[in-house]
Amino acid sequence: MLLVKVVGLGFLAAVALFAALPLIRTDNWWGLAIVLAVTALAFYIYLSPRPVPLKYLLPGTLFLIVFQVLPVVYTVSTAFTNFSDGHRGTKEQAITAIEGASVKQVPDSTIYTLTLATDGDAATGDIVFLLADPTTQDSFVGTADGLEDLGDGSFEAASPGGKITAADDYTVLTVPEINARQDDITAFSVPTDDGAIKSQGLSAAFEGAPQQSYDEGCDCITDATTGNVWTADDSEGSFVSKDGTQRNLAQGWKVGVGFDNFARVFTNDTIRGSFLRIVVWNFAFAIATVAITFALGLLVAIALNNPLMRGRTIYRSLIILPYAMPGIAMYLVWREMFNKDFGLINRLLHTDLNWFGSTASSMFAILLIQLWLGYNYMFLVITGALQSIPSDLVEAAGVDGAKPFYAFRTITFPLLLVALAPLLITSFAFNFNNFSAIFLTSKGGPFPPDNPSAGSTDLLITYTYRLAFGGSGADYGFAAAVSVLIFLIVAAVSIVSFRRTQALEEIN
Amino acid sequence: MRTRARTFRAAGAVLAASLVLAACGGGSDDDTSSSGDGGDTPSASGGDLLIWVGDGPGGDATTEIGKAFGEENGVNVKVEVLPGAELQANFVTAAQAGDPPDVVMGAHDWIGNLVQNGTIDPIQIPETVSSTIQPLAMEAVTFDGQTYGMPYTMNNIVLIRNTDLAPDAPATVEDMVAAGKKAVQSGKAEAPLAWPVSDTGNPYFINPLYTSGGGYMFGQGADGSFDPSDLGVGTPGSVTAYEKISALGEKGEGVLKRSVNTDNAIALFTDGKTPFLVEGPWQLTTIDDSKINYEVSPVPGFAGLKPASPFITVDAAYVASGGKNKTLAQEFVTNYWSRADIGAQLFEATKNVPANKDTLAQIEGDNPAVAAVSKAGAENGQIMPSIPQMAAVWDPLGKAEAAVIGGADPKSTIDSAAKAIQAAMKE
Amino acid sequence: MTTTTSDVPVATRGAEGDPPEVARLGSAKGGWFRRTGLSHLVGILALAFSIFPILFVVSASFNPTGTLSSSTLIPREFSLANYQDLFSGSFPRWFVNSLIIASISAAVSMLISACAAFAFSRFRFMGRRPGLIGLLLVQMFPQFLAIVALYLMFANITELWPSIGFNTAAGLIILYLGGALGVNTWLMKGFFDTIPKDLDESAKIDGATHFQVFFGIILPLVAPILAITGLLGFIGAINEFLIASVFLRQDDSKTAAVGLYGLIADPLTKNAQFGEFAAGAVVLAIPTVALFMYLQRYIVGGLTAGAVKG
Repeated sequence: MLLVKVVGLGFLAAVALFAALPLIRTDNWWGLAIVLAVTALAFYIYLSPRPVPLKYLLPGTLFLIVFQVLPVVYTVSTAFTNFSDGHRGTKEQAITAIEGASVKQVPDSTIYTLTLATDGDAATGDIVFLLADPTTQDSFVGTADGLEDLGDGSFEAASPGGKITAADDYTVLTVPEINARQDDITAFSVPTDDGAIKSQGLSAAFEGAPQQSYDEGCDCITDATTGNVWTADDSEGSFVSKDGTQRNLAQGWKVGVGFDNFARVFTNDTIRGSFLRIVVWNFAFAIATVAITFALGLLVAIALNNPLMRGRTIYRSLIILPYAMPGIAMYLVWREMFNKDFGLINRLLHTDLNWFGSTASSMFAILLIQLWLGYNYMFLVITGALQSIPSDLVEAAGVDGAKPFYAFRTITFPLLLVALAPLLITSFAFNFNNFSAIFLTSKGGPFPPDNPSAGSTDLLITYTYRLAFGGSGADYGFAAAVSVLIFLIVAAVSIVSFRRTQALEEIN
Repeated sequence: MRTRARTFRAAGAVLAASLVLAACGGGSDDDTSSSGDGGDTPSASGGDLLIWVGDGPGGDATTEIGKAFGEENGVNVKVEVLPGAELQANFVTAAQAGDPPDVVMGAHDWIGNLVQNGTIDPIQIPETVSSTIQPLAMEAVTFDGQTYGMPYTMNNIVLIRNTDLAPDAPATVEDMVAAGKKAVQSGKAEAPLAWPVSDTGNPYFINPLYTSGGGYMFGQGADGSFDPSDLGVGTPGSVTAYEKISALGEKGEGVLKRSVNTDNAIALFTDGKTPFLVEGPWQLTTIDDSKINYEVSPVPGFAGLKPASPFITVDAAYVASGGKNKTLAQEFVTNYWSRADIGAQLFEATKNVPANKDTLAQIEGDNPAVAAVSKAGAENGQIMPSIPQMAAVWDPLGKAEAAVIGGADPKSTIDSAAKAIQAAMKE
Repeated sequence: MTTTTSDVPVATRGAEGDPPEVARLGSAKGGWFRRTGLSHLVGILALAFSIFPILFVVSASFNPTGTLSSSTLIPREFSLANYQDLFSGSFPRWFVNSLIIASISAAVSMLISACAAFAFSRFRFMGRRPGLIGLLLVQMFPQFLAIVALYLMFANITELWPSIGFNTAAGLIILYLGGALGVNTWLMKGFFDTIPKDLDESAKIDGATHFQVFFGIILPLVAPILAITGLLGFIGAINEFLIASVFLRQDDSKTAAVGLYGLIADPLTKNAQFGEFAAGAVVLAIPTVALFMYLQRYIVGGLTAGAVKG
């Protein structure tokens, strides 16, 4: 017992050390503080005799907090920002991107043949560009001070005006050496009158100048050629055309927008028009999925729970097969089976139904697929749960002369519910947001011809996906806001049902 | 905002590491001490050249090419093959996390989104290199007057014809429908043609008919750049186009059907059940395997109307703004990836039309089908718009297409789609 | 696992030939149909329902031009070409990775959630109810941004601790452990609750520590649910590709699900490789089924095994 504790705590200390070393090396003191705090907490919990439950909860809880709770916190915080494609980074990053994207070759300038070299040692010397002009056949050395002629005879070139292969006073870099000095090379440029010479790969350099540049004074971006001016709008996270004639610059930045995303949910016309209908179907879908998978799972579990029956192992193994297959592929296979002209279902039933073409048949098809994918899971869990029901209780009912079904209804079933009620609630919650079930089958369809954004079998989550990611890039802020709202709905419903099952829990 | 995000990340990372205490990770300690963080490169700034590519046959070929580039230059090149469907989103996320690869391969219509996120750099391609690339491909990777990528393959859909069922290439849609119906009547085929539509539509595949009828996606300025304020959906031309498409649909000729999609269209053709298939060159290897005799011709347009334009999509290599090895990345993209022999190597794997002129000339003779794809694209193809606003078009327009083919009124359906697109672009 | 089945009151009933009548259709008396016929009927129907879409996948895997389109259930020609393609590539390596990652994460998360379930079932402490409800609620949050958040987090982790960062099995496993508490704790707690408390009370009177009660008495009794959570965890991890495809990018670190997903992920070309994908799905289902067959005796054997076997 003591040994287990010593080994366990020793392991813990080793892991803490493993976590701490890189943090110390990178001067990450906040990180180190957290590691120390968590380690101290763990030592306290496992050394002190008192907090027994925590000894059992700590490992799982830590994992849960990091990989489930933190992403949720991140999502919630995103709901109050404009985080989306074009608004992902900081303002500085946006400015860098705008200036970088506008660097153009100076008109009538030449593209030099480049040789990367250093002034002095390859590892520490200053970076220089050895440049050859292929048209004039002149050769230069470019330093941070500017361009200078290379004296005739002080260098060797592959051909007149070709790539310089060696030069007095300078060390020509090999590719691995270049690779090692990458950061210095990226930062290096040779200033010229019209801009600067930058390297482009290993053997080309061009004279370029940014067309758009940022001015801190006016907090704006000016285009040198057209003279257009875009002013920073810190509430929107965009550079906005000063005179209103130009579109916003595409590269924006992330800013807080308060409750704007939530307001959009409530003021958006298409959302208001379809919201109620979608919510109703969403509930129906989730509840029906749980109900039918549970019902079929229960029936099959009970049927196969007959100890007199032969071949139960084979039955069970084959019945859970759908659960072992990759879900995404099976959705696609099912979708094709429901195809009007080429699908297996119409062929077998001798029908000519466009399954995903009408609301009712689309819903039916989706639920059938859900049943297929889900009942095996219920079957598995119920099979296990049946074993844990004390059979003397059931037998007592049998002795009383009760019929098997009566015993099932009064004893087995309520006990099963005790064990499985939470599972049913989680299953409900999972299916409430079951994106793949819709997106890989009906895709939300059928859609009324006059409304391509809200389909008859859309769930809130698929509908949100279309709204948030169907515009000019992904709008995560909006998606996060809808996520929060969806969560509030599911959580409220689940807590209510949870309260109901509380009564059941007291039976035991 | 910035500090908050950073605290969150740091806290998460730190907590995560402390977690190893709870469970596994027994070997972790040894791993760190041996692999450390330096690696075998002399400095922390360089390291391996990291390339991301979508999976599929091109992914394996890229791995080979990357390896050869590394050996030639004495550096390590790592090629990571990611699921193509999420590659763009993952690249943007990685860039945001400050941890992008040095080079990423992707379709040219990513450029708008990659640029608005500041994730890729413009590249300066010397005239000696750009002149070896097909002009349409260069046009595709040009955005806001800058060149952002090095094109390597270009694709467009074509009409693939079972020559046993339909000996002659149709000049018009009407000819094709007649020939298809004849093949069905004679009992040799089950469907007059296989044109992917699907329950939610597919504007990419219907574009030849849409343009032939007079529709367009976005207007183009004089310099070829797309104008987001000029949306073609909802214009009279687009309505005419959809009226013509409607006539081919389920309530009309019955040759365009929602039940045909990219999953079963190819099967219909390789099973010999239809004389005509509208698909891209990426299906040619499958068709070759099926031993069907076939020929490739341009997708025909409506008789007497405008030419039918398939979209041209270009795959290109991009240099990441946040990459750690820009010099090598630029070198790889501009001078190595553009080489004719590299193009040939990629062609062997993908059978997509090479963007390099020399490669195309080299393989054309042995691959008449690919040559025909290229010719069809060069004649009437149009570059698929790469502005980010295009993302707002696909979904509503596709649904409108499916609805019209299912029998809905073209005018009101297209108007609704136009409204939905305008709303999505405004958001 | 040392069992202490004989100490358990609930198990000490029923002589040989008098199987526990927990719940089943039919009765021991009556004709064949009443005894097992109905069970077979339900079993066969369920089996047919379960199997037929899978037959399609199996058939596609043997068809050299196998496609997603379900126009043929019987392959036009039979060949092992898809399996040959599959095994000539990186698939064997991915398959092994999958088995390692799925086994470890399933086993560890089973243990973690059993610990938590034990605490929730056997102790009354401050924050118990909020904790339980909180567990449930966290699962309900739509995970639109989870990948982005986890990516940002792991980019830092990779920088600081490369051995648990991107492209490592260890990193992915600890990430999967974040979900260990979720559903499983609830499921297990429900089972733990059905075990009479008198058992641990009397053991404690005899001087057993909570640690001994947990490992020596409770765990052996809940073998069915341990087996089930283990299996669920295994299936979940072996089929997971969304997160894994972002985390495992180097060819030799990938799992089979990531590799297979790549075959059908591209909307334009997915159909061309469906045959190979189907072959992979079939191969990947084998360990799951094997594990289930192995675990089945714990799942249904559990408390009653002794009695049935005599």
